Parts: sequence; structure tokens; C-alpha cells
Amino acid sequence: MTSRALVEMAALALVVFSVGALWVRLRREKTIESDGGATIQESISAELGRFQRQLLRILTTTDHREIGILYILFGTLAGVWGGIDAMMLRTELLTPPADIWTPETYNALFTTHGLTMLIFFVLPVFFGIANYFIPLLIGADDMAFPRVNAIGFWLLPPALLLVRMGLFVQVGGQFLGLFSPEETIRFFLSLREVGVGWTLYAPLSVQSQNPQLDLLLLGLHLSGISTTVGALNFIVTIVHERGENVTWANLDIFSWNILVTSGLALFAFPLLGSALVMLLLDRNFGTTFFAVEGGGAILWQHLFWFWGHPEVYILFLPATGLMSTILPKFVGRKLFGYRFIVYSTLGLGVLSFGVWAHHMFVTGVDPRIKASFMAVSIAIAVPSAIKVFNWLATMWEGDIRMSAPFMLCAGSISTFIIGGVTGVFLAVIPVDILYHGTYYVVGHFHLIVVGIIPFMMVAASYYWYPLMTGRWYDTRLAKFQAVLMIVGSLVTFMTLLIIGGVGLPRRQAIYPPEYQFANQIATVGAYVIGLSVLLWLYNVVVSYWRGAPVETTDPWNLKATRQFTKEWQWFESRMVAQYGLSPATPSSVRRSFDPSAEPEGLAGGVGSVIQDVSRKASAAAIGGIVGTLLMTGGLGTAVFIDVLDPASFGEIAELVGLPASPVLGSLLFLVGGTVTWPLLFLAFREFLPGRLLFERGLVFSTLIWTGFVVAFYTGQQGLGLVGYLAFGLVAHWSYGLGLTVTFQYLRSRQRAALGGGE
Amino acid sequence: MSRSDDSVLFTYIAPFLGVLLVAVGIAAAVPATYDVIQDDITTCGTPTIAVDSPEETTARFGEDPRPNLTRFAYEDLSEAEQEAFRDALDDAVGESRVDGEFPHYGAFLNGSLVTYEGERHYTTVVAENPCFVAAPLQLPLGVFAIALGGIGILTPPAYRKLVALEEGAE
Repeated sequence: MTSRALVEMAALALVVFSVGALWVRLRREKTIESDGGATIQESISAELGRFQRQLLRILTTTDHREIGILYILFGTLAGVWGGIDAMMLRTELLTPPADIWTPETYNALFTTHGLTMLIFFVLPVFFGIANYFIPLLIGADDMAFPRVNAIGFWLLPPALLLVRMGLFVQVGGQFLGLFSPEETIRFFLSLREVGVGWTLYAPLSVQSQNPQLDLLLLGLHLSGISTTVGALNFIVTIVHERGENVTWANLDIFSWNILVTSGLALFAFPLLGSALVMLLLDRNFGTTFFAVEGGGAILWQHLFWFWGHPEVYILFLPATGLMSTILPKFVGRKLFGYRFIVYSTLGLGVLSFGVWAHHMFVTGVDPRIKASFMAVSIAIAVPSAIKVFNWLATMWEGDIRMSAPFMLCAGSISTFIIGGVTGVFLAVIPVDILYHGTYYVVGHFHLIVVGIIPFMMVAASYYWYPLMTGRWYDTRLAKFQAVLMIVGSLVTFMTLLIIGGVGLPRRQAIYPPEYQFANQIATVGAYVIGLSVLLWLYNVVVSYWRGAPVETTDPWNLKATRQFTKEWQWFESRMVAQYGLSPATPSSVRRSFDPSAEPEGLAGGVGSVIQDVSRKASAAAIGGIVGTLLMTGGLGTAVFIDVLDPASFGEIAELVGLPASPVLGSLLFLVGGTVTWPLLFLAFREFLPGRLLFERGLVFSTLIWTGFVVAFYTGQQGLGLVGYLAFGLVAHWSYGLGLTVTFQYLRSRQRAALGGGE
Repeated sequence: MSRSDDSVLFTYIAPFLGVLLVAVGIAAAVPATYDVIQDDITTCGTPTIAVDSPEETTARFGEDPRPNLTRFAYEDLSEAEQEAFRDALDDAVGESRVDGEFPHYGAFLNGSLVTYEGERHYTTVVAENPCFVAAPLQLPLGVFAIALGGIGILTPPAYRKLVALEEGAE
């Protein structure tokens, strides 16, 4: 536990500090500096004063958009934190034994990962999006109860702190341990993150002696109050604050979903609160709600899942609302079957309360009851499938715009279908008994909770980024990030489905060695997801300062398809009022694709033939030297870590009749890299694939690498062989790039010197 | 600069492969780094033993334990084993780590009876707490993969610069 707590705190601090530093740096770049030279005391005071005013405003704001942003920031931080848990537990699973973290630590990791993600990441982010956009979408000035709205948010930070207090206390204890004897800081060392699983099953959760569990229960209770308060506010806002022309028949689909979600939360969360209080009483006051002599451990499961399964839909429905909102905008068609989407949402809301016992098929619940729950659990696939078919029908023959939000929508539909179909199997009692407690379940629900929830959050962040910030994000990076997220999720969770399908139990730090490779693939996939999240974070932070300003009132050209919805109308009126822009005029013609330019020839055609040849030869030689020196770095490192044998250079010397000296061989290598290979390249470059010179240089160096691999091979095996091949390849690419880039650089300078730079 | 938008290879595929490399690199380098520092930050390599009280031992085996159970006198144990044995007796849940020479590991793994101050205590290894062992090349190759992946991720802007350079040379 010692190392885990420090590692996790360090990782979280690193992400937060990096984002903060990036933000401060970008802000400073954009701030107009006075020409007074060094910073003076007055400017520091002014900065502090500004900071105080900002802080006070943030703490006391009741504006729905600002509270929405606070929710989103909070949820993002929690998501990063829970994501770090996930990365750490996947890291542990790189090897079969529990040799990176202990089993106790692993238990804590999957517990805190689940709780943080489900309670403190998903709902706060969706509540944030809803806070920001629902008043805009329904034509309201603000939420119905602005102050209650603020209170709802400000209950969350202390709730998260209580739930994850163990980590802080533990790290604090380790810090104090540097100065104090263990006896005096025993309290700090006794509190640690809980490892009973996010479902907090009794009797383990009753009997666990970790005092952090009590704080966790209190924190969850507080978060439940926050959610209930927020849900009430959404319901009243949507019912009573709608604009005059917004009826139930034309209420936007995202508001419908938030309305149903809030209804579910209103019924589910008070029940969770009651169950948590009962658990607290069992733990601390000797009541017997969940003891054998009382209600028994199964009672906890009933109460927990009566909240827990609707909770799944509380998390899922806003994501489907976003999908139904965003997808039509990027396929140029209105949502197909609006009414059926609304009905399916209501249907899911009702049915979600009737399926809780499918989580308990392996308990002693009466088989007849189980059978009825099986029927309802299968039936719930129907409204889910209605949504999918409507989304597909919306896309059918659409005018698809391949943007990041669309890619995430399409990716979500695919992952949701796989996650949903695998869920139907789990709804069937015999199959569930077979797969219960295996990675199959983990793969199934992650394909949904990762495959649609964060996907849609990210898609929404891109879709509404111009509206929220007045700037564009880096669209190219966003597309790349979207692909990473989709591929990472499919690789990770499909792998989990497979290893679960063949029977690997979940929640085990130690597993049989034959599953190692599959687990490594899943872990690499998880890292890809993690990296994609960091790329998203980078994009939204940097684009806030550096993104191209939005210069139209209709950034997505929505008027062309008559989908210029209310929030964009609000945006247009603001742009007109603030920046004097004219309302955008719809255009029915999409921007044509700019065909690629024809590859241009290499011949400079400047000066006489002799001058041209000599210039090229000398430039090639200089390029060869640069390339070979760059290459030496890679090969030297390969020698240093022992994947390349220096004796093989001696064999090269032997080939030309010199003594078998590695030094002589290296000199020959340098001569070859400077003279022979550049000349060969110049002779054959026209026949190599690639439009630009450096592309041909890369192809050329890859070809000569194959010869190098054969000539310098000295019996490397396993990782040594991998290193030999990889270092050799990269070294050769360095050579190819060094050769061609230097060559072009010299040519461009020569052209400039000869006045041919036009 | 129109050509800078054209290369799918350098705009999408190269950074994608770069991210994969970084991910693989992290998978290799993080555990390998952990291997290097684990001696300083963890207590791996020190198995945990559990020692039953005489009453628990009697309840477990009765008055006449199985003859195939290895028996030791407390004095036969190594210094580290003795220390862990005493600590386990004082511990609330009867467990302690053996931090040092552990010559009777094999016998304790299967469970043994240790006689201490005239009373028998059932003693067994309850956690091996193994250390992580990484392949020697795992760290350098992991770092290399991360670095190479980083270059791959940075390919699009580098590509645009190279295109600009090439266009300047024409």
C-alpha cells in the first residue's frame, strides 16, 4: 500500500500540475505585458486582487453556465483520478503474480476506480452539460432554483474528499513518518483506501475494520443528496421554465433524457442513502439490518441493486440523449423516429427499476422470481434496440461529415451494440451463472460505460466547444484522438470479453500464466485510452487560448439542414451583439475537396549542369555525414544496451581485406554513409515510392536496413532481437531523414542565395 | 501548403502507431522501473507467516497432530524467523513478515509446528510477497518505445515543417 498511495498521488498531482502549468503559460502568452520591464509590486497586488475576485465569484456563482462548467471541471478531475486507478490496476495485471501491487492494493484500486467513475465522474459531467445547455435548449433564463443548483454542486467536492480520504491520510502518514515514530502517527496509518469492491457487499463491508469505510459511506451519502437536489432542479426547470414555443412534442431529445434521468435519480438515490445509513448503523451501532439474525446479507444486495441498476441507466440515458442530439447534425438529417426515441427513453426509465435481481442470479433468490427478472432483463433490450435502429436510420443515406463528434457517435453505436448484445446473454440465467464474476461481465459493461458514456461526453465537448469558448479546437488532433479512443476501447474490452468467455475470474490480482498475453493486450489498449484522454485534455486546454476564433454564427453549418437549434440561436444572438457579426446564411453546397497538387520534380534547373551536379553532390555528401552521425546515436545506444555486437563492424572491415577491427569497420561505415549510399540514393531516387524527397529517403533507408539486418546479425534472440531490429530501423530512418532534410535545406538556401526563392 | 493535408500516413497512421508504441513502452517500462526501485519502496521478498495460538493449534489438530507435520523448536529457527514468530504472537491477527534469512521457508510453506515456551504453535506462510522480476532489456526497450512513439505522435507538425522546407527548396 505504501508505494501505491505515493504513486497514485504523484500521478494525479502530475496531471493536475501539468494542466495548470499549461493553462498559466498559455494565459501568460496571451496577456499583454506592459513595457515596464520587471514585475512590480502593484502588478502582483493587482493579480492577487483579480484572483480573489475570481475565486469569490466562482464560490458564490448561481449562473447555470458557470455551475455547469464547475460540474464539468469537477467531473473531469474525478475521471482522471479514477482513470489513474484503472491504469494502475491494469499495470498490476501485466504479470500473473501480484508482484507490482499487493492483492490488498489491487482490491482498493478496483473499488475506488468503480466508485469514482460511477459516482463522481459520469453524473457530475452530465449534470454539468445539462446545467449549461438545458436552459439554452428550452429557452429559459436559468435553472428553476439557482441557489439550490449551486448547493447541489458544492456538496460534491467534500463528498469526493470523504470517499477518497484514505489516500490523503495515508500519504500524510507516510510524510509524517519521516519525522515521527510510528506509534504517534498510528491513526494516519490505520486509514487506507477501501478494498471491499464498489458494490460494498455485506457482510464484508460490515465487518471490515478499516475506518475509511465509514467516511466513504458518509461521502456517498453526501453525493446522493447532491444528485437528488440536482435532479429535482432539472425536473422543475424542464417542466416549468420552458419557453412559450417549447412543448412536450418538440422538446429537444437531450432535455427529454435528462428529465427521465432525473426522475430515476429522484427514486433511486434516496433509497441508496437509506441503505448506506443502515450499513453505517450496522458497522457502528450494532444494528443487524444485514446480519444473519436481521435481514441477512442478501437484503443489502436487494437494496443496493434497486439503486444500482437504475443508476446504470442514470449514467447511460444522458449519453443516448447526446447521441440523438449530435448525430443528426453530422449526417445532415433530422433524428429518425423522435417520438419512438422518447418512448424508448421512458420505457428504459420504467424497466430499469424492474431488473435489479438479475445481478443476483447466483444467490438464493427463489427460482420463479429469478425467471421473471430474466424476462424483464431480456425485454429491456427492446427499447435499447429501438434507439440503435433509429440512430442507424438517421445515418441512412445521410450526408455524413467525417468530424470527430461523428466518429465518436459511430464508434459509440458499434461498441454499444457489442456491449448490448453481450448483455442480453447475461440476462439469461444459465449463461449468467456460467459467466458471473468473470471478465466477460467486465468486458460487457465497459463496452457500454466506456463505449458510449465518455465517447459522448467527448463528442459533446467538441460539438459545443465553439459555443462555449468562441474558438475552434484542433480538429485534426480531435479526429486522431477519437480514433484512438475507439480502438483502445475495442482492444481492451473485447479482450476482456474473450478471456472472461473462457472463464478467467475478475477481481483477482493473481491469475494463471496462460492469460498473461491477453492481459497485456488489454493493458496496452487501456493505456491507449488513457493517452487519448490526455490528448483530449491537451486539445481543449490549448485550444481555449490558441484555437482559431469562431468567425461565423453557424459554425457547423446547421442552418443548411434546418437543425439550427435553440442553443445555437442563443450563440448567434450573442455573436451578433458582442462582435457585430451578421447572422450566417445557409449554403446547400458543401466545401469541395481540394485535390492534391502534382508531385514536383527534383531538378532545380538553376545554373549550369556542372554547377548543378557539384552542388547536389556536395549537398548529398553533407547530408550523408549528418545522416550517419544521427545514425550513430541509435547504433551507439544499441551497442550500449547490448543488442548490437560491435564485433560485427570488424567483420565489415574484414570483407574489404582490412584487419577485423571494429574501429576500422566503423570508419568504413562512415565512409559508406557519406559517399556510397547518398550517391546510390541520388541515382535511384526517381524510382522510389513517395512524393516528397524525405519520404523517398525513408523508403531508401528502410531498404538498406534490410541489408544491415542480415550483415550485422550476431545471433540475437528474444528481446535482444527485437531491440536489434528496432534500433537498426530507427537508426536508418534517422539516416534517411538526415540525408534528405539536409539536402533540401541546403538546396533551399542555395536557391535563396541565387535569388530563386520566389 | 496544400500538400500538407494530403498524407494520411504522416497525419494519422504515424501518430497512431506512435501512441501504440508509447502504450507498449509504458507497459514495458513502468514495471521494469518498478523492478529497479521496488527494494527501496516496498517490502517484497519478505514472506508473511501466521502463527496460531496454542488453543487454535489444538482446535485445528487436536491433542495429537499429524505425524507428517514438520516440527521445530523455537531455538532451531533463524534469527529473522524467531523475530517474525514473536512479532506474530504480539500481532492482533497473528501475522508478521520474515525480514531476513528464512531457511525453513519450505517447511513453513506447508505448515509446521513450532514449540515455544513449552507450547505448540501452528505456523505457516500465508503470503509469499514475491518481488517483480523484469527482463534485463525491458527498461531500455520500453524507454526507447516511448521515445520513438513520442516522435511518431509529433509526426504531423514535423511533416508539415518538412513539406514547407521541401516547397522552399523547389
